[in-house]
Amino acid sequence: MTERPHSSSLRPRLLAAAAVLLAAAVLALTAAHGSGAGSAVPRAASGDPSPSSGRQVFLRDCAWCHGTNGTGTHDGPSLTDVGAEAADFYLSTGRMPLDSPDQDVRSGPPAYDDATISALVAYVGSLGNGPGVPALASGDAVAGRKLFLENCAACHSASGTGTIVSGGQPAPELWHTAKRQVAEAVRVGPGPMPPFSDKQLDQKQVDDIVAYVHQLGSPQDRGGAGLDQYGPIIEGLVALFVLLPCLVVIIRLLGRRAPERSEQEER
Amino acid sequence: MVSLLPRPRPMRKLDERLGFASTGRSVLAKVFPDHWTFMMGEIALYSFLFLVVSGIYLALFFEPSSAMVIYHGHYRPMEGQAVSAAYASTVHLSWDVRGGLLVRQAHHWAAHLFIASIVVHLCRIFLTGSFRRPRELNWTIGITMLILGIFNAYAGYSLPDDLLSGTGLRIFNAIALSIPVVGSWLAFLVFDGEFPGQEIIQRLYLLHVLLVPAILAVLISAHLAILIRQKHTHFPGPGRRNSNVVGSRVWPGYALRSLSLLAAVFAAVLLAGGLLQINPVWAWGDNDPATITAPSVADWYILWIEGALRLFPPVEFHVFGFLVPNQFWCGVVLPLLIFGGLYLWPWLDRRWTGDRETHHLTGSPRESPLRVALASATLVFLAVLLVAGSEELIVQWTGWTVAAIRDVLRVLVFVLPLGAGLLGWWLAESLRRSDLDHTLELGGKDLRAGLRRRAKGRA
Amino acid sequence: MTRPDRAPRLVVAAFLLSALGAAGFAASYVLGLGNAALGGCLGGSFAFLALGLARWSSLIDAGEPDYVEERAVGPTPQGQYDAFRRALTEQPVPRSRVLWGALGTAVAAIGGATILPLRSLMPAMGTDPDDVLEHTPWRAGTRLVTEEGEPIRPDDLAMGGTVTAFPEGLDPREHVDTTTMLVRVPPNDLRLPAGRADWVVDGVVAYSKLCTHAGCPVGLYTDTSHQLMCPCHHSVFDVTDGARPIEGPAPHPLPQLPLDTDASGYLVARGDFSGPVGPGWGNH
Repeated sequence: MTERPHSSSLRPRLLAAAAVLLAAAVLALTAAHGSGAGSAVPRAASGDPSPSSGRQVFLRDCAWCHGTNGTGTHDGPSLTDVGAEAADFYLSTGRMPLDSPDQDVRSGPPAYDDATISALVAYVGSLGNGPGVPALASGDAVAGRKLFLENCAACHSASGTGTIVSGGQPAPELWHTAKRQVAEAVRVGPGPMPPFSDKQLDQKQVDDIVAYVHQLGSPQDRGGAGLDQYGPIIEGLVALFVLLPCLVVIIRLLGRRAPERSEQEER
Repeated sequence: MVSLLPRPRPMRKLDERLGFASTGRSVLAKVFPDHWTFMMGEIALYSFLFLVVSGIYLALFFEPSSAMVIYHGHYRPMEGQAVSAAYASTVHLSWDVRGGLLVRQAHHWAAHLFIASIVVHLCRIFLTGSFRRPRELNWTIGITMLILGIFNAYAGYSLPDDLLSGTGLRIFNAIALSIPVVGSWLAFLVFDGEFPGQEIIQRLYLLHVLLVPAILAVLISAHLAILIRQKHTHFPGPGRRNSNVVGSRVWPGYALRSLSLLAAVFAAVLLAGGLLQINPVWAWGDNDPATITAPSVADWYILWIEGALRLFPPVEFHVFGFLVPNQFWCGVVLPLLIFGGLYLWPWLDRRWTGDRETHHLTGSPRESPLRVALASATLVFLAVLLVAGSEELIVQWTGWTVAAIRDVLRVLVFVLPLGAGLLGWWLAESLRRSDLDHTLELGGKDLRAGLRRRAKGRA
Repeated sequence: MTRPDRAPRLVVAAFLLSALGAAGFAASYVLGLGNAALGGCLGGSFAFLALGLARWSSLIDAGEPDYVEERAVGPTPQGQYDAFRRALTEQPVPRSRVLWGALGTAVAAIGGATILPLRSLMPAMGTDPDDVLEHTPWRAGTRLVTEEGEPIRPDDLAMGGTVTAFPEGLDPREHVDTTTMLVRVPPNDLRLPAGRADWVVDGVVAYSKLCTHAGCPVGLYTDTSHQLMCPCHHSVFDVTDGARPIEGPAPHPLPQLPLDTDASGYLVARGDFSGPVGPGWGNH
């Protein structure tokens, strides 16, 4: 019962999410296929995940805004101390690279294959003393639930369905976000999101939050189609535009029609 | 030999003691004027019946208390956590009581249906002029039941002590505070002190399960007793006069049809309760006054007030040294205007039309363009407020900013009702002039005639 | 009306299916199947019941004429009405204003006196709501702690970070009016009202978390624009500018809590908020 598929959800976002996943799968497949010929370990062979190969991609795609040594320009911030963590988050969620510096930073399919991302991440990590990609440990969802409600629910919604903050910026839905990306976002505070220091939430607490976030979404749909767990707005739409019309149709069928017509039928 | 077929003998024995046969005979032969729109109130009646039955079951498991308890059960993320007894028992009911979730969800859907069908019923009565003499009293009883229904639904929504309903109570508290002179005392009286207090759940529970349903039951009885005494209105037609009722008899045709509706209402709310998740309080989290979830909104029957609160400009001012807070206008004045207007409508209508006659034949909506205009304008006004209450959904669909949507809605909330009112008036006037059966049959000529008529009337 | 010989097949079938649905519900319950099975079976059972009854009634209806009944309701004939009036008003005692007045006084006195115990629904005598609402338990020197009770140092917050804080030693669920939102912003971005320069420690500013409109927790912080938004009615406050409302219905700024650090470097309050917290009320 709790394993209800998402197809019943109402918002088009899920379609988009499915498309994103599909695109990511296709990308990953082609990357693995294209480079895997004659290799026993296709994933490792798809590129050289070393800082030096990362630097080549960086100079080609990132240096426009972040500067040739990642020290930043007036179009983009310095990356010297952001660390591998932020680089991994921005690249693996497709938020970077941007086509032009004035573009909105939005998540999407990643622009690179895994190996290239690893190389770029390694390069950015080598620029300074920023934090590395977090090592995930299995967390406690019970503790995570409380921390999530206190720190995350205001913007992402208690159900993780996502909503808006000021300026109409979205706080994204978290149901399909990879565990590593959740952990990174807590520290990085991408875009409008406030960052959380390790004194505020230690690594154990982040792991707990990640564990709770991981089981948001369909595991919470015990009562049937989840209606996106969006709350009274969508429930009200269903009540007014599905439930009530059903009953109105039923009484229309049950009851008699306008008297003139029934009168004519009898005569 | 014992037969399972009904025998007249037990009934005869009962009649020997009570002598009900002659009354029963006339009850069975009572004539119901039969039109499908007359069954809207019945949807509300049967929803109420379902609410009572399912509510009794829920009350056996729900614990109305803010005291902290430790939850143990199948909802893993809350295992061993300290939450309020109200919240723990609601999650328990949803995850650990077999069938409990079905009853809880069906109860919630039935509450939606109860209020929605009352609103539709009210619109039918309003548009056909069925509130006119001699039915003013039943009209006011109906409005009272609508208000009580909304209040009780809101109380029920607040009981589980989850993060959404806790925020709802917070807004209710702010609205109570905003009432001039007595506001702070009233809020303290209701909440036992400064928000949140420890008592509000128990108090709302008492109102929700006992006082308000009891009053509703009495009012429903009065509503029906008056209806039986006065008999239904009926639509005009051959042989239908102000002094008679034409329709079908209670037994067996109408009774079976009505029972069928009862079963249909139960079927609808049970199917919805089984297949469509509503108010998953475990996903909202427990109420903690320092935290919040978003979107943080109420169910639709309250959402229009929230929408108005969102659109209202940021003004507050002092009168004789007393602050008139911002939330007073939409939280107190707006509902008072709407429900006050509804209460007084039979008398306002009489003043407008000068019609003091007794009416048992319903009017067609077109007979009073004013009523059509007012009903369209009010419904569109409330619809715009509901849209304002759903702003975040529009942001997510369109990508516009909240500020832009708010600005547009601040204009639309005046323009659209005005437009809808004028359009309603125009169409009703055109129909009245044309003697056509349906709005869709109206041609350009009829519409122009409708305009001319109005222009003449104004001059 | 003629009674048909045979039971209508569709009606019988519908009733049997209804019984089947009920049996399905019972089976789902016993087997512990989920919510959809329970609701689907019982709802389906009622749906078939509705269908059967509807069909049955329409079969009856087809053979029924329109019945006509005269309306009996209306004013009672004058004579009977007068008799009723006489029965009501003929009293064995003289019509006396004093008598009725005394009875009215008694009833009103009982009514008025028995309303008084409603006062017990409020906190004890001597507490004026306006005084309670006007102030919060924040005092000079009170430490700020997290919901878990941990004291807070300014650099516990990342730049752009937020945390919800409460006065040390008080239950946050009871003293909701103390709920405080700490935000750390670059100190140079701050444009606070005059006299508040030393209310900030290392860019950490503290405001009441309760919206000045309807009192919801203003929990949605946008780091890029330093704005706090309330999810209830979408008021937006500028954190750098004394939490001035810049959008939506909130009529005045969030009250600010003056901050300082104690000897151990933990954040403490310098006193109460700069004004009453939460929604406005009449005797403000």
